[in-house]
Amino acid sequence: MSVSHTLSPTLVVSRIAAALLGGYAFVWGFVALSMAGLFALGMPFHDAEHLSSILAFLLYPAVFLWAFAARRLGRVWAVLAGGGAAMTAAASLVQHLLV
Amino acid sequence: MFKSFRLSMTWVHTWFGLVLGFVLMAAFFFGALSVFDREIDRWAVPQSRFEPQPMPSFDRMLRPVFERMQPSADSIERMRERVNGPLPERFDTPIRWGAYTTHRDPVLGLFAGYEVPNAKEPETSIWANRTIDPRTGAALPDDRLKIGSRFFYPLHYSLTLHWMNLGYWIVGLASLVMLVALISGVVMHRKIFREFFTFRPWRNIQRGTLDLHNLTGVVALPFHFFFAFTGLVIFAGIYFPVGHTQLEPLHELHEKHDAENTGLPHDRAGVPAPLASVDAMVAEAQRRWATRGMAGEVGFLAVQHVGDANGYVSVYRAGTDRIALVGEGIHFKASTGELLREDPPRTAVDGINTFLTGLHLQHFRHWLLRWLYVLGGLAGCVCIATGFIFFVEKRKRQHAQAGGQGARAVDALAATTVTGMLIATLGILIANRLLPESLPAGWPGRGDVERYVFWGVWLLAMAHAFWRSAPVAAGRIAPAWREQCWAIAGLAPAAVLLNWATTGDHLFKTLAEPYWPVAGLDLSLLVGGLLAAVAARRLRRKEQNDDVRLPAAGIVGEAEVRHG
Repeated sequence: MSVSHTLSPTLVVSRIAAALLGGYAFVWGFVALSMAGLFALGMPFHDAEHLSSILAFLLYPAVFLWAFAARRLGRVWAVLAGGGAAMTAAASLVQHLLV
Repeated sequence: MFKSFRLSMTWVHTWFGLVLGFVLMAAFFFGALSVFDREIDRWAVPQSRFEPQPMPSFDRMLRPVFERMQPSADSIERMRERVNGPLPERFDTPIRWGAYTTHRDPVLGLFAGYEVPNAKEPETSIWANRTIDPRTGAALPDDRLKIGSRFFYPLHYSLTLHWMNLGYWIVGLASLVMLVALISGVVMHRKIFREFFTFRPWRNIQRGTLDLHNLTGVVALPFHFFFAFTGLVIFAGIYFPVGHTQLEPLHELHEKHDAENTGLPHDRAGVPAPLASVDAMVAEAQRRWATRGMAGEVGFLAVQHVGDANGYVSVYRAGTDRIALVGEGIHFKASTGELLREDPPRTAVDGINTFLTGLHLQHFRHWLLRWLYVLGGLAGCVCIATGFIFFVEKRKRQHAQAGGQGARAVDALAATTVTGMLIATLGILIANRLLPESLPAGWPGRGDVERYVFWGVWLLAMAHAFWRSAPVAAGRIAPAWREQCWAIAGLAPAAVLLNWATTGDHLFKTLAEPYWPVAGLDLSLLVGGLLAAVAARRLRRKEQNDDVRLPAAGIVGEAEVRHG
């Protein structure tokens, strides 16, 4: 891949970190919010857990590839880390209201 | 970062595929072997070479065995640091007894968990395992390694690296990368339909390799995607332990409701109670399954809170005749045999989940599909291996001109994970047949030695691959591939001969009976050895072509460089 020779190492490492860690944070937030939300809507706990994780492993490869395809790296980090944190916080809020 | 979407996908596919491909290779290959894990167990434990048996009588056979079981000296030793003060002579408060079998198991696996007095952490338990012959109740030697179900199988999802679940995480990451590589691979190759029918092995190695990579990737794409995906779903609890961390309070809330709903006691009552006839409970469970139109055998039998008034017996159905992995559990009060609960019908989500995981774990009886799984897994291996070779072929001449060692290192690692892995696999089978029945005192257990041989042989193959890959740095083929193919061609029939010599079960006998678990593995070994010999001869020819094309080392035939 001739293109790889022109890539700066910092950019590459940051992209990889965004895809792996940012992606993980985002998917964690998704699983948490979806579990808490579905449970709040009356779905049995383990059903909510299973459905969320099935969707999670379809979501993760998608955001992983988007992290490399997106033009601006700052936006990738903002969406993945920011979105992940927001969803995680929302999940805790839902839990707080239920317990 | 990239000029186009397609270039970004190409970069992800190439580099993540390369780095995690080495792990994926092991996951796919040992996963393919795990399809026949029980059959490999029969080969490796000759005492267990007889027909599969149903669950035996609990009252007459299993109960006395359970009552005599105790944790092994090893696990007691490991428990020592987790308690304050001395450990008891005997663990006499069993939390749980369990017996598990499938339609492919001649032997029966039993386990028992015990309370540990003075444990530092509450709810610490110590476990004992035993494998018995269900026809007689006799115990099989404890140190025999079930190479299929206790080594190849866990290897394919955990690499047997249990520290901090590290192996699970590595394989999980590799599975994610598999999904990513499949999607990015489809994006890279726009003419996906045409590639379905394209294979040009007569062109150069690079072209033929790429064709085979695309062919195996595209033809088996649904298979690859499904197995990587469901593998992740099966261990979702490890990768995203949300319900045990962040949402633990919500989980506890649910458990409290659940225990009230199921009526199955969570704790011991502290009042001793006898155990009623479990055989009667099993008969009742089977009667209830039959009335639901799903008569079947027992796959899993468990007694919880043994000897206590809160004790209960759970009877689960073997999943021989359906994809979804469900036990239709029926639970009885241990002291009286009174029905406590029948597991409710599955919800829609549970139906999807058990179908996905069941199709991966395939407890059902379907021999044709079993073989298709093996072929799918091996197609995955071909796809990954040709990916490595394409990577090397595309770069090795450039690297040779620039004096780089990158292509050589990748080639050596590829040989290690392709042919080296096969040699290690043959190594453990051969060690299994060569080691004496009992090892001298002071030695590790027989099964442990077999495992050490496996890793030791693999390391040797790696050393050999790095040593014998020097010509790659000059733009040639590494002799390591050919030499390791010859090693496979020699070791595979040697394993078959050793099986004959040590057990008397030669192919004429196992085919005539027929006893497929052993005959099948022996035949597969012979076919594998033959293919390796064919490959070795072809590699020899390619090396001779290199000699003609690149007469002196260091001269790179630039005219031959074609970009695929």
